[in-house]
Amino acid sequence: MSDLILKSLDINNFRSIRGQIHAPLDANVVLIHGENGAGKTSLLSAIELALTGKIQSLERADPSYQTQLVHRSANESDVILKTQVGGVEQSFKAALSAAGVHSVATLDKRRGTFFRERAFLPQSLLGQLLQIYQDSGSEAASPLAQFVATLLGLDQLDALEAGLKPFADVRNVRKNVDGWLAAENEKSRLDRLLSDQRKARDELAEQIGNSVTELAGLCTKLGLPVTVREETLEEIAADVSNAQDSDAFARLTDKQRRLASIRREIDAAQGAIKSNAAVAPTGVIEASTAFGQWEAAYGERVSVLRSGIEALLPDVSLQSEPEQFAEAALKALSIQQKQLSDRVSQARTDIVRYGVAQNERDVALRQRDTIDFEVGRLSTSVGSLGSVLAELTSFITSEICPVCDRYFSEISQVRLVEHVHHKVRRLSASAERLLILGRTRSEAQITIERLTSEIEAIAARRVDETILAELDRRSATATALITELETVIDALYEGGRLRTTYIAAKRAVSGYQAIHVSLAAARETLNDFAISIGAPALEASESFETASARLAALLGGQAAQLEERLSMRRRATDHIATIRSALVRRKEADERITADHALWQCADRALLQAQTLRDQGNTIRSTVDRVRSAIIRREFNDRLNRIWRDLFVRLAPGEPFVPAFRIPESSTHKLQPKLITEYRDGGPAGGTPGAMLSAGNLNTAALTLFMALHLAVPRELPWLILDDPVQSMDDIHIAQFAALLRTLSKEHGRQVVIAVHDRQLFDYLKLELSPAFPDDSLLSLELSRGTRRDSICISERFSFKEEATFLAAA
Amino acid sequence: MNTSPLVKIIYDRLHDSGYSDLSTPFRVAGVEFPFTAAMRGRDGRALDLVLLVDTTTGDFGDRDGMRVRQRVEALSRALDVTGSRYVVTVILAGAMLSESIEALSETCRVLHVEDVPLDDHGKPTDTAAARQLDDRIRVLLPLRLPAPLVETEEGSGSTMEQLLRALPASINKTLVDAVIAASNAGEQAVTEALALVINDVVQSALGKEQS
Repeated sequence: MSDLILKSLDINNFRSIRGQIHAPLDANVVLIHGENGAGKTSLLSAIELALTGKIQSLERADPSYQTQLVHRSANESDVILKTQVGGVEQSFKAALSAAGVHSVATLDKRRGTFFRERAFLPQSLLGQLLQIYQDSGSEAASPLAQFVATLLGLDQLDALEAGLKPFADVRNVRKNVDGWLAAENEKSRLDRLLSDQRKARDELAEQIGNSVTELAGLCTKLGLPVTVREETLEEIAADVSNAQDSDAFARLTDKQRRLASIRREIDAAQGAIKSNAAVAPTGVIEASTAFGQWEAAYGERVSVLRSGIEALLPDVSLQSEPEQFAEAALKALSIQQKQLSDRVSQARTDIVRYGVAQNERDVALRQRDTIDFEVGRLSTSVGSLGSVLAELTSFITSEICPVCDRYFSEISQVRLVEHVHHKVRRLSASAERLLILGRTRSEAQITIERLTSEIEAIAARRVDETILAELDRRSATATALITELETVIDALYEGGRLRTTYIAAKRAVSGYQAIHVSLAAARETLNDFAISIGAPALEASESFETASARLAALLGGQAAQLEERLSMRRRATDHIATIRSALVRRKEADERITADHALWQCADRALLQAQTLRDQGNTIRSTVDRVRSAIIRREFNDRLNRIWRDLFVRLAPGEPFVPAFRIPESSTHKLQPKLITEYRDGGPAGGTPGAMLSAGNLNTAALTLFMALHLAVPRELPWLILDDPVQSMDDIHIAQFAALLRTLSKEHGRQVVIAVHDRQLFDYLKLELSPAFPDDSLLSLELSRGTRRDSICISERFSFKEEATFLAAA
Repeated sequence: MNTSPLVKIIYDRLHDSGYSDLSTPFRVAGVEFPFTAAMRGRDGRALDLVLLVDTTTGDFGDRDGMRVRQRVEALSRALDVTGSRYVVTVILAGAMLSESIEALSETCRVLHVEDVPLDDHGKPTDTAAARQLDDRIRVLLPLRLPAPLVETEEGSGSTMEQLLRALPASINKTLVDAVIAASNAGEQAVTEALALVINDVVQSALGKEQS
């Protein structure tokens, strides 16, 4: 036999074995018997320790087990296991002391794992195998899942899977990756900012568009030969401010005055005809005298007043009759005075408001700067830092900082927990503060923009101080003239009456003579005037009234047209100013948008790269899942189920159900093999083994599962070492079990080492496993110990003996 | 040997599996023991003595559980007397009271083949029937291990090597190295490792903007 076989074991003061024992192991079957506590388990675990350097079942129960392995009566211990392959001997040794285990030589990692998982069945592993039936939950922490993970070395894959899982949910990503949340916040902040800025910019663009449209309409109405676009604004401004309309208006006003004077002449001539139609006029001398006296008294003053008014109101034509002059002058003056005072007060308000608005904007700008400064100082992560610290407080139980392990009292009188609470309060207050600041800032921004446009509007229409002073002066002059006029108005009425009387008398005389001549001349004058303004000449039948009304209407129409044009030009100028200022602001907005967009792209790129990594994490996770599933499918295959079934049926021929593993075809989460039972003779699957099998057959299932795992993979080590595996099996099973052990030992070359505590079973196995052919061998080891003496191991070797009973018959 | 098809098929099956016929009645310690059939294994099973009992039509008291037991007990004693190491297995072909089977089990290994569907030629009707028979006496049959799996390329190496092979080529190596290194320390370490890698990328991308 060229297989590696266990040769012998020397144990010195190990666990419950006191003193030194030597156990030969070089037989196909080694049967170990001892009462409970005699040291069977110690002996078998000594084999494990020597081969692998540790004892897995104890490690699971107590991580510091290595210091407790030396027998309590001794200080040192050692275990030497010898193996043999062909004729070559190999030694595995472990030295033990209170400090722990020192391994001199062990199996390589691969065979060590095989030994632990598939060659050595200590009681604890059998218990674990039983547990996987009893707790058949399918969750990741179930005993079956843990067993599978350990058996297949899936721990690392499971750690990867579980560790990467949180990244499937973006909320967990935010929690775990600080920068992620910061980038997201930055991006959404810029998003909002950009959207606000774009909205403002669009409003500006719309405003420009509207103004351009209106300006274009005005230009069309004015008949200006220009294309209205933002670029041609300068050209349009020049065209709009062209003075030809105002010149034309001045000429027209002149014509209107002339028409009015002609009409007055004609009225006078006609009036004279009516009043002096019959009687020859009298009383010329008396009237002349009275008027002469009035003129001497008031003539000078009235003439000064008149020249003053004419200087102030060059456009107004004043009659020479005193009372008409008084009325017309008073009316014109009070209109003028009102206009002037309105303009003055408007200009003054503007000047004041201009200054105030600038101050207000200044204040708002400073407020915004203050907010920006504060926002800059408050980190955007204060909120999350606050919540992290809040969680931390529950770990603060003393003055020792849980982060740096130093005494807080070294640097402060305040208690640490209060310090952290204070800090948390401050941080969460800061987070709230950020919200308030954000709100206030946008309010301030709105105020600034409103004030800026107001200031620009005022600047566009504001008059400078020189003109204001001039207006003021003119207003004062008008007021003075009105006062003066009011003081002389009674005299003027009197003068007017006297003058009228005088002129009436005089006219009565001369008019009487010259009426016809003057009327003819007046008609001639009117006719000339009509031709001069381009109107049709007077008809022979046309009366003076009709003709002069016709001409007045003509001129009035022209004047209205010109006034309309002038007003349109003013509106066009206003629009141009508006467009200019809006263009400047739009340009600024464009620049801001470009800058912020660059920042936004940066944050976006950061998130994109992070997302790529996150996706890759998910890829790794799904690959882990795939690899893990592949490993499980490879291991828990039909081959394992077939061997398991065969072994189980051997041991429990009367059981109608057999246990099996089933791999779910598709699984939404981590793939786990499931334990099921099947009808032995075929048919639909029953429930879980725990529900379907008796306690004894569950034990059988656990034992056969271990053996099936041993047999289902290539044979790394030809050993089956079983520690008291048949505690609760009934007699039938023991008979079948013995037959199975014989099959494995004698037909499959396994070296079987089995410990039992039951004397009857020991004897029975000794018979059943007796050497059956010349090379076959059986060793029995009897362990015993006493309270005061060293442990004893008595070995007995059985070799093949030709069976004589049926020699004759055979 | 009688002509019961059930006994015949069991006998044939064992014969095919390397058991040889032992003529009955045979003598042990001078006592003669008659059985419906007796067989003996060879090599590793050289100490197996298999006795067939036809509980339906058999002779020698086969139909009476008590008499079967007495006969087997007598044989056991005779074997003990001669110092023989033979291990007796009794196969009961046909129905029998479970109390009797239990009582018999205290003396020897008992296998019970109550019924197997057989065709006109006395062969199992199908593979299911054949398997049913095998299952009943399986402990006497050789254990056949399926041929060991040839280790495929993808199934070789440690779990981490398998994982690395399965990952797409486009995967970020830094990331993979970081999480695999962390996986030894448990899931929390993996989470932290990934978080760290992502955070580094975010910080460096955001850092560009500030510089």
